[in-house]
Amino acid sequence: MKKHLLTFAIGASLISASIPLQVIAQDRSANEKIIQNYATMVHQDYKRTYEDALKLQSNIIAFLDNPTRETMDEAKKAWLESRNSYSQTEAFRFYEGPIDFADADGNEGPEGRLNAWPMDEAYIDYVQGNPNTGLVNNDGEEITIATLMNKNQADDEADVATGYHAIEFLLWGQDLSLESAGQRPVSDYTKTSDNERRRTYLKLVTDLLVNDLQTLVKAWAPDQDNYAKDFIRDDDALANIIKALATLSGFELAAERMATALDSGDQEDEQSCFSDNTHNDFIHNQQGIMNVFFNTALYEELKKKDEELAENLKEQILESKKLLESLPHPIDREILNTPKHSASRMQMEKAITSLQQQADLFKKAGNAFDIEASINE
Amino acid sequence: MRKNHFALIIFAYVSFWCSVDYVWSATQDTLFSTKVSQSPLSGGETTVDDTSRDAFAKPLKNLPTELLRDFTFGNKMFNTKWVTAPASVTSLDGLGPTFNRRSCAACHFKDGRGEPPRSLDEPMKSMLIRLSIPGKTENGGPVAHPNYDLQLNDSAIHGVTPEGNVTITYEKITGEYADGTSYTLQKPIYTFNNLAFGELGDTAMFSPRVSPAVFGMGLLDSIPDEVILNLADPDDKDNDGISGRPNMVWDDIENEEMIGRYGWKANTASIEQQDADAAFGDIGLTNRIHPKENCPPAQKQCQQAVQGEQPDISDMQLDRLTFYISNLAPPARRNVDDPRVIMGAKLFERAQCASCHIPQIKTDSHAIYEELANQNIQPFTDLLLHDMGDALGDGRPDFLATGNEWRTPPLWGIGLVSTVNQHTNFLHDGRARNLEEAILWHGGEAEASKEKFKAMNKDERKALIQFLNSL
Repeated sequence: MKKHLLTFAIGASLISASIPLQVIAQDRSANEKIIQNYATMVHQDYKRTYEDALKLQSNIIAFLDNPTRETMDEAKKAWLESRNSYSQTEAFRFYEGPIDFADADGNEGPEGRLNAWPMDEAYIDYVQGNPNTGLVNNDGEEITIATLMNKNQADDEADVATGYHAIEFLLWGQDLSLESAGQRPVSDYTKTSDNERRRTYLKLVTDLLVNDLQTLVKAWAPDQDNYAKDFIRDDDALANIIKALATLSGFELAAERMATALDSGDQEDEQSCFSDNTHNDFIHNQQGIMNVFFNTALYEELKKKDEELAENLKEQILESKKLLESLPHPIDREILNTPKHSASRMQMEKAITSLQQQADLFKKAGNAFDIEASINE
Repeated sequence: MRKNHFALIIFAYVSFWCSVDYVWSATQDTLFSTKVSQSPLSGGETTVDDTSRDAFAKPLKNLPTELLRDFTFGNKMFNTKWVTAPASVTSLDGLGPTFNRRSCAACHFKDGRGEPPRSLDEPMKSMLIRLSIPGKTENGGPVAHPNYDLQLNDSAIHGVTPEGNVTITYEKITGEYADGTSYTLQKPIYTFNNLAFGELGDTAMFSPRVSPAVFGMGLLDSIPDEVILNLADPDDKDNDGISGRPNMVWDDIENEEMIGRYGWKANTASIEQQDADAAFGDIGLTNRIHPKENCPPAQKQCQQAVQGEQPDISDMQLDRLTFYISNLAPPARRNVDDPRVIMGAKLFERAQCASCHIPQIKTDSHAIYEELANQNIQPFTDLLLHDMGDALGDGRPDFLATGNEWRTPPLWGIGLVSTVNQHTNFLHDGRARNLEEAILWHGGEAEASKEKFKAMNKDERKALIQFLNSL
């Protein structure tokens, strides 16, 4: 479709000599400012996420080296921190950028390896009632980075072998109780032959996560021959920036992660269910949206186009943030496990509605810039 | 994407100018056209512009934000791997006792197309074998095999023996284009193994089926009956060698006979029926349409297996699943302005491929969801049954469809199968390894079209394939 529109645009430019060129030039420099700031910010945010993942990696190495309750807790703490910085970068998805779609040969970006969910944890390791399941217990398959990559969502979308949630499950274990997060024992990682495959798995799956994040940092590094260079020249750049915000607000966050969990009532539908960190996933997704809106000049430039819309969008974003931050947690115990129409469920419904309105306002913001920012593609 | 008002004016001008070729002008209310459109919008306003591995997995572009939660819930149901009852998550247990795969997505990976096993050791991951014995049920459908029911379940829960499995070997068939270029096709030969409840018997009939892609179903549902009936020509009155007739099938939801639209033989009339049948037949999930577990009398372990809360898939879960399938969008076409693609489209028309693979249809003004109504779509199907010749026949009738008849499959999205599913196997049993082979297997009513393709020179054949890959 891009090509198609382009043809018309060329056709149109032949007969549109009467458009004041000055107006176009001003628009372009305003857009360029947003786009340039955005590219810089994306690079910095991925860099921070990568550095947090390096900390996670060193904590996991320390844990495997000396598996105690304390070193395990340190590793979990590092996971939680690295997870929050990653959640903010989800505002840079949904337009076939480096995270989703890497190159012209159709090689996919690492999103599916980093963040696939929901997952069937029995694909990785033992679960209640099934002590010998998963790759960890399948001696016939050597555990290497290549194996993990090939096995991730190989035949079934729930067959998740890699990424944040795989590491989360390997650190916390199944969340079988409403009273706490998962309670995987330290003894799963003591240096015995029984644990060798699990120890290798945790080490390699973390290495892979670090590698994947590094490719994202490189793709967005300034002044290189890379994706960022093409991005700042792309006519669709601003449309993509806004489309990503609309999609994260209305589709990924409001519908997939929040409403579906409410509607099904299954504990498994909590995104970070093993660690009970789901509320932070929501809050940091919203923070990622705010980073783009307030820190790239998008808000200022939108004000120049349509002040009322800019203010409405700002208010809506702050409202969503407030509602998300006030959600009772852990989400499974405090919301999903409560009866229909409970006060906490209504609170989550309000947050969903606010995010949907936020999404529709982002679509309108696109229109104000004379671009189409669709949620559904 | 930049909006350009001048572009819109030009677009309006061009479409007016082209209204002789392209039927969508305001004054002319034509319901379908056998001319190929040059618009990339394969599903009208529902079309999504996505060329990634998720190209088949997107909601209709015009689906309102507040309905996305039903879509994502349905998506969750589609991806759920069902577990044996009783399990800790009771809403997601009830797998089997016998089944083919644990989730919808396992066969329809990324909402896309299945393939036959890549080697003799590999199980059927996205393919199954339908079974029946001669005769018709009181509703006109195929009669279930007494020991194995309507399809072979090659998997079972712990403590229950699977029904058996099938392996495929291939026989090479060679042929030649008019220009002397040779080609090789592979004809599948099926072997039944490990049959747990005795031989199938001499009268048993079977039909191998790979899982079709599942996007665009709501739009197919919205094609008016009158268009399908209008396209039908059961007695070939126009003498073009192509007949085409609708399959008339029983629908359990409406409790009446309706035009079949889904499945390789158009043996299902509604999306809800299709979903309920697949949940039951493929995963073993009882539901409001199929309340009893699928255990023929000979299968004692199956009958004695523990049942979870009934039905296995609740009405609400099934409704969301149906909503999801109804609202998956077709992907936009690519490279529509490429001269070779345009040339390929002309060749497609000239070879009369477009007589069955109808390029343009307008959906009904009344549809199950309003986003689906009044859309100018490019499904490349007439939803009719056609005799495709003995070589493709399965010898297993299904409602009105004979052993040689198949429904014209939609071609939209066909060029993205290699991206989404990383294979290019086509036809009901995936025997064609690429689009060229798929064309070369056409016979019966499509024999003349195939011969025209074989008579084309290399450049023409390439252009035709390039056109198909633009869909």
